[in-house]
Amino acid sequence: MALTHLIALGFMLQAMCGALFQFIAVAVGGNVWRPKLVANTVQPVLLLATLLLVAGLLFSRPVLLSAAVPLFLLALGGFVVAVALALWRTPATGVTLWAMRMAIGGLAITVLLGSLLAEALVHGLSVPIVELTNIHLAWGLGGWALMLLAGVSYHVVPMFQLTRPYPASFSRWFGPLLLLLLLAWSSRIFFGDARWSLAIALPLLLLLSAYAGITLWLQYTRRRKIHDATSIYFRVAMLAMLAFAVSAAALVLRPETGADPRFVVWLGVLAFAGVFVSAITGMMYKIVPFLNWLHLQRLGAPLSAVPNMKKMIPAEAMTGQLRLHVLAVVLLLSAVWLPGLTRLAGVAFAASFAWMGWNLIGAVRRYQSFRDQIRATALHH
Amino acid sequence: MTTVIDGREMQPPEPMERTMEALDTLAEGDDLLLLLYCQPHPLFSILSKNGYAWSEDLRADGTREIRIRKLPG
Repeated sequence: MALTHLIALGFMLQAMCGALFQFIAVAVGGNVWRPKLVANTVQPVLLLATLLLVAGLLFSRPVLLSAAVPLFLLALGGFVVAVALALWRTPATGVTLWAMRMAIGGLAITVLLGSLLAEALVHGLSVPIVELTNIHLAWGLGGWALMLLAGVSYHVVPMFQLTRPYPASFSRWFGPLLLLLLLAWSSRIFFGDARWSLAIALPLLLLLSAYAGITLWLQYTRRRKIHDATSIYFRVAMLAMLAFAVSAAALVLRPETGADPRFVVWLGVLAFAGVFVSAITGMMYKIVPFLNWLHLQRLGAPLSAVPNMKKMIPAEAMTGQLRLHVLAVVLLLSAVWLPGLTRLAGVAFAASFAWMGWNLIGAVRRYQSFRDQIRATALHH
Repeated sequence: MTTVIDGREMQPPEPMERTMEALDTLAEGDDLLLLLYCQPHPLFSILSKNGYAWSEDLRADGTREIRIRKLPG
């Protein structure tokens, strides 16, 4: 559980919150109130809260969990309010905006449920921990992460991967259906009937298969073929999502499979490492260079002085890191059934994260160096 | 006169670079038609800061027609 939260909060949430600040401006033309102040407050508090929570779970220290809860509520409560205001005030319309609005609601529900669970663990509250954990997980991965990924995909996949747009009938209904199914899934807490869970889980899995299938189909049918790291990362994420849906459907239809605890780990690896780490890394490899370019361009330099976006992160570095990530995911999935591979899989996964960090730090350093060059040139004129 | 930039099969930021190059030579009364599959909000903010007006139409196939012209004065 500590490691799951390290990925979900330490990597996914940090990247998604950061991306939202920029994405609101670029994709839906909204403005977050004093973005630097909000980001500089939320980010360190969130980091501290994550470290406390992970340490509390890892070393079974309730006092650390108690300390983490108010910090999460403060950081993410402030973030949700600032982002929600920006999303409701923008004059823009469209499916991406609605998906982002629903996603921010999903984040709020996830945080509230997570805080309740942490308090229940600390104070021994009599709440249905397992049921609440399942609902917390569904809102975190579905209502927040998947909703945001889908909303961002409607904008970013056609723009950066040069596909046709998502079919309007799909993008219009995906978000509301996902929200409705998650609300129904949450009602498990009141209806313990296994048939009710089955009736909700299968359409939910079908819905995420539809998103993955349509994204792959859009990539396959695009007129100009691009095989950059982002496109391949997205393909890996969507294939992992399909594998997750098939595996989870098998678990729902044959509940005796769930008796083997390794099956749940298999699903966790597919969802976290296979789907979200892949999709987020792929997005960052496009968004970070694009933002570098945009900010350099806004410095007022002539276009010829602004370096090409492709110079921000070398293509070979991104492709190499992608290969290592895919190897790490395959090793992690294999290690579920072959425990002898666990250590090797862990090393490969950690190394792929370190390489990704190095690539992104490189992009920031190149941005700073180009920015200084442009400012120096402006001074000389 | 209308200059057309079909950015639907270009990777960002190429459509924006081409648009800004074309705007440099756009005469008053002429317009620039940009075709994209998304709404270019960063371009919109540059246009409004630099005295350009634009209108948008959405075609059935998802193409956005963005028509840009220079504001008088």
